[in-house]
Amino acid sequence: MSPEVRKVMVVPCSGIGKTYGTVSREAAYEVTEDLRPRSTQLVALSLLVLGDEEARAAVRAHPAVTIDGCKLTCAAKMVQESGGQVAQGIAVLDVYRRNRELKPQGIAELNEGGHLLAHAVAEEITVIVDDLVAREEAPDHA
Amino acid sequence: MPSYLETTVDKFIFRVATDRLYSAEGVWALAEGDRIRVGVTDFLQQRSGDVAFAEVKPEGTAVAAGDEVAAIETIKANVEVPSPVGGAIADVNPAMELSPEVINQDPYGQGWLAVIEASDWTTDRDALLDPQAYLELMKGQAEEEAKKL
Repeated sequence: MSPEVRKVMVVPCSGIGKTYGTVSREAAYEVTEDLRPRSTQLVALSLLVLGDEEARAAVRAHPAVTIDGCKLTCAAKMVQESGGQVAQGIAVLDVYRRNRELKPQGIAELNEGGHLLAHAVAEEITVIVDDLVAREEAPDHA
Repeated sequence: MPSYLETTVDKFIFRVATDRLYSAEGVWALAEGDRIRVGVTDFLQQRSGDVAFAEVKPEGTAVAAGDEVAAIETIKANVEVPSPVGGAIADVNPAMELSPEVINQDPYGQGWLAVIEASDWTTDRDALLDPQAYLELMKGQAEEEAKKL
């Protein structure tokens, strides 16, 4: 991990076996691998749960955007438990409410609606990431 | 503020408000004179998962007991909510349009679905369960669900 280059941590929920969890993870991959690979870093929730020091240090040192598939908000809670601050939390369900035509189905393999919903989530995150990066790079940033 | 009966199944706690009646499908009916406020139980909302959308039949719609009064889409399933009472829908909870998550947050209060002007409450009432009877039924349903986990 290179925290000096990657400025925003993206933390998706696990949600194994759940459609919205799959959407959460797919959105995180899209942001960190395709849309904003230089300014983001994926942090696996499981590492935070395990107390992995590198992952904990990453969320403590950088703003984190969490993506949660259900109201348990495991990703947001684990970032806070790890001593980090959630710069912005995204709930997949909220994005779906704004995009009802993108009904996600499937778990191991999402349907088209699920892929498109993941993309919509990813697009929302890029806006947040860009804003956070701009703030980090502002000359008067403390 | 109603009081509640409570039961625990597996790691889940389910509440049943004591001031109203219930259908076996997990729909409550609270009499306010001839107007009956209806909503879903704590068990039904927990079993169904986080609510994404809730569409209640519009005001003025005539429903018979057992007819669909609302359709709820959750992260797990589409749930048809059968009316526990026959009559005409007199009022729809406006929160269902913008914040249907109140069904999860407060199923016996702010998460009500509709008020129905009952056509024959005396008859419909006899087909419903009192809180203790519903608690027992629901506990059995919850235990069946838990076996699937």
